[in-house]
Amino acid sequence: MIKRILSLIPKLLIPAIIASLLVLPSCATSPAEITSYTIADSTGDWGYPSPYTHYSRGPGYTRMSFIFETLVWKSATDFVPQLAKEWEYVEGEDAYIFRLQNNVSWHDGTEFTAEDVVFTFDYAKEHPYQLVDNTIVKSAEAVDKYTVKLYLSKPYSPFLQNVAGTQPIIPKHIWQDVSEPGKFTDPAAVIGTGPYTLADYSKEHGTYLYNAFDDYYLGRPPVKEIKFIKISEEMTPAALKEGSVSAGSIAPEIVSEMEKAGLTIITAPVAWNAKMTINHQKAPLSSKQFRQALAYAIDRESLAQITQRGHALAGSPGVIPPTSDWYNPDTPQYEYDPVRSQQLLEELGYQMEGDYFTKDGKELELELIAAADYKEVGQFIKQQLEAVGIKVDFKTLEAKTVDSKVEAWDFDLSIYGHGGLYDPSILNKVIMDEGFNSARYESNETLNQLLGAQLTEMDASQRKDMVFQIQEVYAEDLPALTLYYPKWYWAHDGSVNLFYTKDGIASGVPIPLNRMAFVK
Amino acid sequence: MFSKRNVTTYAIAFAFILVLNFLLPRMMPGDPLMAIYGDEALIAMTPELRAQLVERFALDQSLWQQAGAYFLALFQGELGHSYYYNAPVLTVILGRLPWTLLLVGTSLVLSTVLGIVLGLESGWRRGSRADRAMLAGLMSLNGFPDFFLGMLLLIIFGAGLGIFPLAGALTPYSGLSGLALVLDILRHLFLPVAALTLSHLASGYLLTRNTMITVLKEPYMLTARAKGLPPRILKYRHAGRNSMLPVVTSTGIWIGRVVTGAIFVELVFAYPGVGSLIYEALLTRDYPVIQGVFLLVAIFVLAANFLVDLSYPKLDPRVSYAY
Repeated sequence: MIKRILSLIPKLLIPAIIASLLVLPSCATSPAEITSYTIADSTGDWGYPSPYTHYSRGPGYTRMSFIFETLVWKSATDFVPQLAKEWEYVEGEDAYIFRLQNNVSWHDGTEFTAEDVVFTFDYAKEHPYQLVDNTIVKSAEAVDKYTVKLYLSKPYSPFLQNVAGTQPIIPKHIWQDVSEPGKFTDPAAVIGTGPYTLADYSKEHGTYLYNAFDDYYLGRPPVKEIKFIKISEEMTPAALKEGSVSAGSIAPEIVSEMEKAGLTIITAPVAWNAKMTINHQKAPLSSKQFRQALAYAIDRESLAQITQRGHALAGSPGVIPPTSDWYNPDTPQYEYDPVRSQQLLEELGYQMEGDYFTKDGKELELELIAAADYKEVGQFIKQQLEAVGIKVDFKTLEAKTVDSKVEAWDFDLSIYGHGGLYDPSILNKVIMDEGFNSARYESNETLNQLLGAQLTEMDASQRKDMVFQIQEVYAEDLPALTLYYPKWYWAHDGSVNLFYTKDGIASGVPIPLNRMAFVK
Repeated sequence: MFSKRNVTTYAIAFAFILVLNFLLPRMMPGDPLMAIYGDEALIAMTPELRAQLVERFALDQSLWQQAGAYFLALFQGELGHSYYYNAPVLTVILGRLPWTLLLVGTSLVLSTVLGIVLGLESGWRRGSRADRAMLAGLMSLNGFPDFFLGMLLLIIFGAGLGIFPLAGALTPYSGLSGLALVLDILRHLFLPVAALTLSHLASGYLLTRNTMITVLKEPYMLTARAKGLPPRILKYRHAGRNSMLPVVTSTGIWIGRVVTGAIFVELVFAYPGVGSLIYEALLTRDYPVIQGVFLLVAIFVLAANFLVDLSYPKLDPRVSYAY
């Protein structure tokens, strides 16, 4: 047996040596040529990487973004030019002027011009692109061959982030004849301006193969070939160690083991939060004071430590995480205080009888529903609320059942999570929008007015003031309570300098696969 | 030989399955719009986009209209268009079906043949040390769920020793072809097949062994022995054939589950199969895909039943008179 294992060592060593040889050139900062780079993904298939056929999630956008580009893009720190070299906002006209690069060609050799940009926004009027609100741009106009003017229907503060930096520009000469973009999966559907072209896509194997586009206007990409392969998250660490995979997302528990194995670890800035949603339409939860009593009763610090094994930050009741530039440090925090919680309940007329509070002879009992993923979080909350004197009936249900019950207001408390925490426009979506993923809270006029105003305020510092106020008002009213922000990690071999994009790729995708990392 | 009455029974069962197949997915809480787009915060769900999606998914139509469209398309051989995968359902299923058939088919054959052979040998030698060892070993294997065995094998032979690949059905973009490609596919197939075979081996083995022990006590076995037949003929032709009936039944049930029987093993090995497809389709409430896969399952179950019905009289002619 030992002999057999010993005889395997050369087999294990050779890939390790090859892997370490591959890692070495990365120490130099100049763009060394890399023949192939492999990225692991546990889902695999994210759709045909064309704007109208990729699946409507961040990884789908990312795969498309190696082929299609936007007017502006982002680095690790700021907005950077992409198809547009320069841009400016014309205040009086509610319009943006973009001056385009004049040496760009589509992958089929056709020249890229302002016509393509105008076409893209006109086309989206009829066929909305899933990740961009097509009502923001009222009209697009080509001023000359390399200048575009986009008129907004009203001022929109996150325009660069959510529109100019997200909307993929498509070639007019191909798409003008396409009437059903959702079914357009020709090879022509993946002709873009980006640094890579699609060589293969396999739906069933969940794999993608990209080749460098040698005539790319910013220079030949040094990484010649990028592969996406499907592999379970449990096996990604082994694949990273043996060198068959260059980068992949890993579980927080094995970060230190991966570091010891010589891999580079990167952490995403907080982008996602788990929340306790509260049915504020229904007594007693319709009382603000009652909701505050709930917040005092739950120790979010311990919740993050225990249920997430420390790989999470405690939630801020203003949704925006403390790591964000938009975070207001004066947001009411409801530090853990069970006594204060009980006082608030007593003020509301509840009396402690036995283990639980009662009112008018009825025991105070709430129903908490959540998907099985939140089993531990739910149990923790049940335990803490019951310790204060609120009886909790906790049920785990299938995820979509929870969603539809919440949508129909058929619940007391529920747990669910959402991402998109980079730009404050997310607040409008999760407070005012329809649907189960929003608090649907419109009874505070000040809050409504502030939310509306922050979206149209083009002055950055004034917008920041408004976002600060929103956090205070929202945390005071508590239509939902942010519980924790999980930490996410990627491990990679260092051959390409992967980084997290400022405020996420495009409108906020928290994946460290910005195509710029493969270009420069 | 196959009577009109049997055909009618199959037709009624099939029609009943089609109706259930249409209704069940729609009775689940939540709709595809909510399931596919609901929890993605970056989606810009404008009223226009919502209206377009509702129309594309035919969610604005009544159940009757949807049913009419579904059955009409079905009779034209159309399985519909997947909401999530954005492709024809038939294409989506056919892309994965060969891999499932390869994986589950191989392990079905292996576990049945091995189960019968081991069962016969074990029953023949009932009470011996070899029999007891085999019984204990296979009984304990039987206790492990297939995905657990899969993970164990993957951790030892994949991650630990590095002998077998960690995921998938083949090495993506390896440029292999011909024999090298076949070997690559077999190398990827080995661990998942081993996991499925080992965890299903026991049921065939136990059934065969039990029947074998009963059969050995039959008078005709004594006669055969008295004729001076060699043990190999006794074991396989006389006792073996008579011990196979229950195994054929259980294998028939298994064939019906070929399509979805490997869900967990497929997930553990990131193997492209119909099992993981149905899992994803349920999560996204992709009605057309769910219907398509269930239809396939129904066809497999009915076909397996049919085959078992056909093979019974061949194995035991007495069945034909059993009314």
